[in-house]
Amino acid sequence: MLIPRFEYHKPSTLKEACEIKGKFKGKAQLLAGGTDIIPNMKKRIILPDSLISLNGISELKSNSVSGKNRCARIGACATVSSLIRGKFLLPYSALLTGLESLGSPLIRNMATIGGNLATARPAADLSPSLIAYKGKAILCSVAGKREVSLDDFFLGPGKTILNDDEILAEIILDELPACTGSGYIKLGTRKALEISLVNVAAVIALEKPDGVIAGARIVMGAVGPIPLRATTAENLLMGEKPSDGLFAEAGKAAAEDSRPIDDFRGSAEYRRDMVRVITVRALQKALHDIR
Amino acid sequence: MKIVINVTVNQKNYELAVEPNMTLVDMLREELRLTGTKKGCGLGECGACTILLDGQPVSSCVMLAVEAHNRKIVTIEGLETEKGLHPIQQAFVEKGAIQCGFCTSGMVLSAKALLDDHPHPDEQDIRKAISGNLCRCTGYQKIVEAVQSVSEGEQTS
Ligand SMILES: Cc1cc2nc3c(=O)[nH]c(=O)nc-3n(C[C@H](O)[C@H](O)[C@H](O)COP(=O)(O)OP(=O)(O)OC[C@H]3O[C@@H](n4cnc5c(N)ncnc54)[C@H](O)[C@@H]3O)c2cc1C
Ligand code: FES
Ligand code: FES
Repeated sequence: MLIPRFEYHKPSTLKEACEIKGKFKGKAQLLAGGTDIIPNMKKRIILPDSLISLNGISELKSNSVSGKNRCARIGACATVSSLIRGKFLLPYSALLTGLESLGSPLIRNMATIGGNLATARPAADLSPSLIAYKGKAILCSVAGKREVSLDDFFLGPGKTILNDDEILAEIILDELPACTGSGYIKLGTRKALEISLVNVAAVIALEKPDGVIAGARIVMGAVGPIPLRATTAENLLMGEKPSDGLFAEAGKAAAEDSRPIDDFRGSAEYRRDMVRVITVRALQKALHDIR
Repeated sequence: MKIVINVTVNQKNYELAVEPNMTLVDMLREELRLTGTKKGCGLGECGACTILLDGQPVSSCVMLAVEAHNRKIVTIEGLETEKGLHPIQQAFVEKGAIQCGFCTSGMVLSAKALLDDHPHPDEQDIRKAISGNLCRCTGYQKIVEAVQSVSEGEQTS
């Protein structure tokens, strides 16, 4: 399989990359890890006139915990492996589980977090937890920067709020409040190289140790056109003490909140039932994760 | 239009003019005639095209050759020395971990990256490290045993 011809650009600053993207708009695609776009170009699903490589831009690879509010700032071109090795994401257990279950070691060494969000695959492994943590994205263009909530980032399969002239530069996660825990569960049939049949990320915060639930975010992947919040389930948890019975009710509510479809990987009915089961498990994981 | 890149392959520096749409696996196999790197699926799914990029294993079929500019690459040809096969290669031969051989160069390089970082991995670590490398023949058991034997120092060559 050959890659159709294209013009290659390799800017060394984000500013320069924005200028090129601004000039070519939709005719140019960005190249980060290449694990999504190169196979799609080989299959002739995406045929850009130009590719703008982001791999010469060091500012997009940096990641750190900074500022007085200790938020985690993740460069869009940070690879999945570098984020696992980096340790600074240790408090964000649900995200770490997603990173570790993405593709295979070979893919993790290439794939970037920005590419994972930008491709907007309904089954992607990083978006559910990033949304559950109330993550934000910094989008850049020649006109300037804007900050958007990841809650509003996805519009449909393969579609995001990114304009034709914009580049996703950074993902920001606020420091987790005290008594907060998270968990991510990916359901597939294999341990590696698997696309989620269903996945669920849950974040819960207790009012105080052993107290009632003061915050709950549940995000489900692969059961709708974009990652979906299980809002009925979240509301049901608020103000209650965690218990097996409560989590079972939340699982049922999440199943109702999901909008799965039938495809060759599984039926809608099966997916809905699995949302119920893995929501309970993700909540239990989140509860155990509270330190 | 061809682009000139500088790349180190198996400790040798090359200056090459490549088309932007050439993949790294094709550059290695067709320009440098290093055909030890295999091309299976061409879509990042099978690991036959595994190479080490700055020490980390990646699929060279989903990477553009131009993106290898100023990077260090090791292919299977880079493992053997004048003393003979690399201990991992030797172990694959001795443990019967090779049948058709199509997956072998990728398996060996994924194993090398693991052992360079963790000289004494357990079985699960080994299985995880080769989880992106598909083998249609062996059933993996002998491959895992071969890697284990190197980590346990059975191989000395
Ligand atoms: C074998 C295989 C297994 C996989 N398994 C998984 C899996 O288990 N889970 C999963 O979630 N995904 C999986 N993927 C999909 C893919 O690897 C990931 O989504 C990856 O994170 C994409 O990132 P990338 O850097 O490789 O993107 P690229 O291919 O470089 O880019 C993809 C798209 O995103 C756009 N883009 C990239 N960076 C930016 C940016 N900074 N700003 C704006 N747009 C940008 C590009 O224009 C392009 O259209 C798999 C892929 C393969 C080939
Ligand atoms: S040929 Fe590259 S992964 Fe299959
Ligand atoms: S030995 Fe034939 S594919 Fe592994």
